[in-house]
Amino acid sequence: MSLVYLVVLPLLASFLTPLFKNYLKYISVILNLALLYTVFSFYGSLPLVENIGFDSSLSISFVATSGSLFFATLFIVVSLLFSLYNLANQNNKAIFIVTNMLLASVIGLVLSGDIFNIYIFFELASISAYILTSLNKDKKAYSAAIRYMIIGGVASIFLLLAIVLIYLNIGSLRLETIALNFNTIDLKIQFLVLLSLFIGFGIKAEISPLNFWVVDIYSGSSSKAAALFSSILSKSYIFVFFNIAYILNIEPIYFNFLVFIGVLSFVVAEISALSCQETKRIFAYSTLGQIGILFLAFSYGDIDILTGAIFLVAIHSISKLMLFLSLDILENHFGSTSIDIFKKFNSLFLTTIFAIGFLSLLGIPPFGGFIAKLTILKGFASIEQYSIIAIILIISVVEAVYFFRLLGYRYENQAKEDIKIPLVQKLSLGFIAITIFYLGVYPDWLLDISHFVASSFLKGVANV
Amino acid sequence: MFDIFNETSFLHTIITIGSFIIFGIAIVGVLTRKNLFKIFLSLSIAEASLFLYFIGNHFEVSKIAPIANIAGDNITTFSSSMADPVPQAMILTTIVIAIAILALGLTFVTSYYKLTNNIDIDKMDELKEVKS
Repeated sequence: MSLVYLVVLPLLASFLTPLFKNYLKYISVILNLALLYTVFSFYGSLPLVENIGFDSSLSISFVATSGSLFFATLFIVVSLLFSLYNLANQNNKAIFIVTNMLLASVIGLVLSGDIFNIYIFFELASISAYILTSLNKDKKAYSAAIRYMIIGGVASIFLLLAIVLIYLNIGSLRLETIALNFNTIDLKIQFLVLLSLFIGFGIKAEISPLNFWVVDIYSGSSSKAAALFSSILSKSYIFVFFNIAYILNIEPIYFNFLVFIGVLSFVVAEISALSCQETKRIFAYSTLGQIGILFLAFSYGDIDILTGAIFLVAIHSISKLMLFLSLDILENHFGSTSIDIFKKFNSLFLTTIFAIGFLSLLGIPPFGGFIAKLTILKGFASIEQYSIIAIILIISVVEAVYFFRLLGYRYENQAKEDIKIPLVQKLSLGFIAITIFYLGVYPDWLLDISHFVASSFLKGVANV
Repeated sequence: MFDIFNETSFLHTIITIGSFIIFGIAIVGVLTRKNLFKIFLSLSIAEASLFLYFIGNHFEVSKIAPIANIAGDNITTFSSSMADPVPQAMILTTIVIAIAILALGLTFVTSYYKLTNNIDIDKMDELKEVKS
């Protein structure tokens, strides 16, 4: 079995869309199950380096480490849950093609062993995201897509500048060769490369102060698109950025800068969410806040903190998928995502789903988010970083204010409308909610996997 | 007298200065233009300046085109006097991607214009949050 199947199968399915146009939603589920089977078949033989086409330093190379494969598996699981949710809707060619393109690109992004292929998949993922943003085909969607393309264009220019500088100074695109020679190049060039990488990936990974555009894009896109952005796209860029940072073994001062950036993102995003009147914007700010915690945790290079961060990536991905898809049901019913819709709907199922999602994101037991935050906080306590613990706890209170405010609207005396939810959507959302609860009660197996992935991250160049 | 124009180091300097001037013009364009077409055009110019910088800085006067002489099934000549083909292959790939993204961007701009009759980025207020 070749790693290339993980990229080729979704792309091939997209090309074959005209053949299966009446069965696309079923094909999507089957494809994701096939990808899941394929990705599990590689777990026994890690780490795995595969040169595509011919065996040379110029060939395309895929590197499967426990880190990259964990993220690829997570993306496939999220995509599978997304396709199960879509079983209740009509066959949609555009969604089918673009989600497959997105999945192929993010898997390629995390598996790539050379920096130019990372750029190719970076651009492919961007194109998929631009199209996903515009799928509603109204003024808001096109406005969001245009803004996204302009800021995405700036990101890709800076990433390309980093690649050009690396090749001109090292003469190779392989991450392994770059890592071995990076410390030999001029310090000013090193700084310029790292700055360009930070701007390129920072814009896409939605990190402060480069994330000013994100909330508008989420607001202009459909809830389904926002679900994929929050649970798949941003995570893939975070993985690649930190994977490169650890492989290049950059100076501690740069990691200190990233810690500051993480704290800034977390604080600014959570405080900004307080004044929002639109649910999609609140969820978007919540995503930015969680990404801030992830940046903070990934930057410390401590195995315990990193274990918590990997756990948080998994929990946050499925939680945000669940919340945005639940919002999609409300958006389809009311035609809006204003916070007022929380006063108008009458559905015990959706209220429970939102409550589980919010409590997990806040880090309240017995949900998975609690274990993630607890592991991260225990990690910070073990290295005596009490100020960081205080910041996370204080800002989590701010987060609690806006989430409990939304839940509180449910009890306002206002005429309420019953929401009809198809059984398959209930099952897929219910499954995610039970998983979040299960991971809060029995977290050990995922913690062990997260620890394994974290140690693979910290190995740096030894991995590739 | 004009031999200096044929020296690799001189050409690299000229190309570096030239491409960074073009990059600067493009960035000014992105930041100051209001017309969406001009913003996308500026982004394309910025990318083109990087292509020029990369290819130009890898160009060496004495190097020959990287085309191997093949006798039968064996490659007989592949010497160090050949230019490195990787930057050209890279930039060709990047140009294709850049064109695709530009085409997609202009499609969005056209569709947006049909709906709103607006092409000014400052007047795009659809995404502003409505406060109740």
